[in-house]
Amino acid sequence: MFDTHPYDVDVHGEKGVNKKQMAVIESRFADKDTLRVAFISDTHLWLSDARDQVEDINHRDDIDFVVHCGDLTDTATGKEYEWSRDILMKLNCPFVALIGNHDYLGTGDQTYDVMYGEKDFSFIASRVKFVCLNTNATEYDYMAAVPNFDFMETEMVKDSDRFDRTIVVMHAAPYSDQFNNNVCKAFRRYLDFFPGLMCCVYGHDHNDTVSRIYGDDLIFYAIDCAEHRNYRIFTITPDDYEVEQIYF
Amino acid sequence: MRWSRFIFSSALLTCTLQVIAGDSIYVEDVPESKYDKRIHRYQRHWAALIPTEFVIQNAGNMGIASAGIGWDYGKRGQWETDLLLGYIPAHNSSRGKLTMTLKENYIPWSISLTPRSVSVKEKGRWSIEPLTASIYINTVYGHEFWKTQPSRYPDSYYDFMSTKFRLNIAFGQRLSFTIPEKKRRRFNKMTLFYEMSSCDLYIRSKIQDSSVPLKDIIGLSIGLRLQTL
Repeated sequence: MFDTHPYDVDVHGEKGVNKKQMAVIESRFADKDTLRVAFISDTHLWLSDARDQVEDINHRDDIDFVVHCGDLTDTATGKEYEWSRDILMKLNCPFVALIGNHDYLGTGDQTYDVMYGEKDFSFIASRVKFVCLNTNATEYDYMAAVPNFDFMETEMVKDSDRFDRTIVVMHAAPYSDQFNNNVCKAFRRYLDFFPGLMCCVYGHDHNDTVSRIYGDDLIFYAIDCAEHRNYRIFTITPDDYEVEQIYF
Repeated sequence: MRWSRFIFSSALLTCTLQVIAGDSIYVEDVPESKYDKRIHRYQRHWAALIPTEFVIQNAGNMGIASAGIGWDYGKRGQWETDLLLGYIPAHNSSRGKLTMTLKENYIPWSISLTPRSVSVKEKGRWSIEPLTASIYINTVYGHEFWKTQPSRYPDSYYDFMSTKFRLNIAFGQRLSFTIPEKKRRRFNKMTLFYEMSSCDLYIRSKIQDSSVPLKDIIGLSIGLRLQTL
């Protein structure tokens, strides 16, 4: 009722979302044979589309969890953060959300810290490690450890007895306007150290491209924005994975 | 009216000086010289910068509370300009922040609640202003906020916005009490008001997606105005 400021970092409702949701994912799907994961991204202010997307995911009762690849907001106001979180909270399954470049505007990154948690995080389900990396280097004027190679080094070996394969998720892909493009090649080298690297998933571009960004075997799956009303479901079996594009 | 009082006081002061200097009650009726006229005009213009009101209000996308000075002008004092400083507490962020607001108010009507037969001088007067319309620009201080997009972004990426400046609109109502002359100490009028406001980013979000609830983008603000001049 009394609005202090659009960029007031005063989070109401659920805080520390990722940590709580990751705990659920890790306990619920530790030994699951086949994993069904929905990747969504760039919901911005297309709230009605985002709502339909959540509803579409809820209609399929075989989705284990959802990963939002960033740009939860358009201008990173506290209100927008609450709107998108409250839509995601309607999911019947657990979810995690990465930070996108739009989510940094003003003091939006501080709101993300409180509402979702660490900007680099990882969790394990069905012996697959999902490494979620902050790649929004432009937001720091390239002055911060983004992408964080120390975090990557830690994640390569941490809990190595609990996973055999890795999926790397990020908001902005290498060579995009947000990535620190001076380290694109170093980043690619680091990716190879992850056990059983399967593929990379990203958002930011508002399209559904599937490409080999580095011209090698590593596939990068772009997740489209909510306005284009489609997303991807990854079905991960013990020795392979399949990707479907879902229109809603 | 206050200008005539000012000129009158100045004239009175001049007379006093003459009385003291000449030790006489005889005052020569000298016509105002060009110099005097110019000086009076000069003083009158600078005196217009003296704030006529003190304002304090909460919320309104300007901070938890804002306070500042205001000027009323126009034939019926129907226009006001306010300059306010506000404070956003740290809450979950790294630190508290200051904001500054330049606000323009328009008050088209003032309806007296006190009958004409009652002497304003002795009893004062209650009045309501059924509508106030305001537009204001708020700026927030801090290195996180920029006026136009920094050079690190691709061209025209955030052309539509500034994170530092917010344009707000507000509509409200007021209840005023003109203090009887004998009881005036610092102020001659007190006004209690409320406003319903929204800012450019919120209105933009409503335009982009009509499902945005109005209650989320319209905020309430309550305030007090104290008139000195």
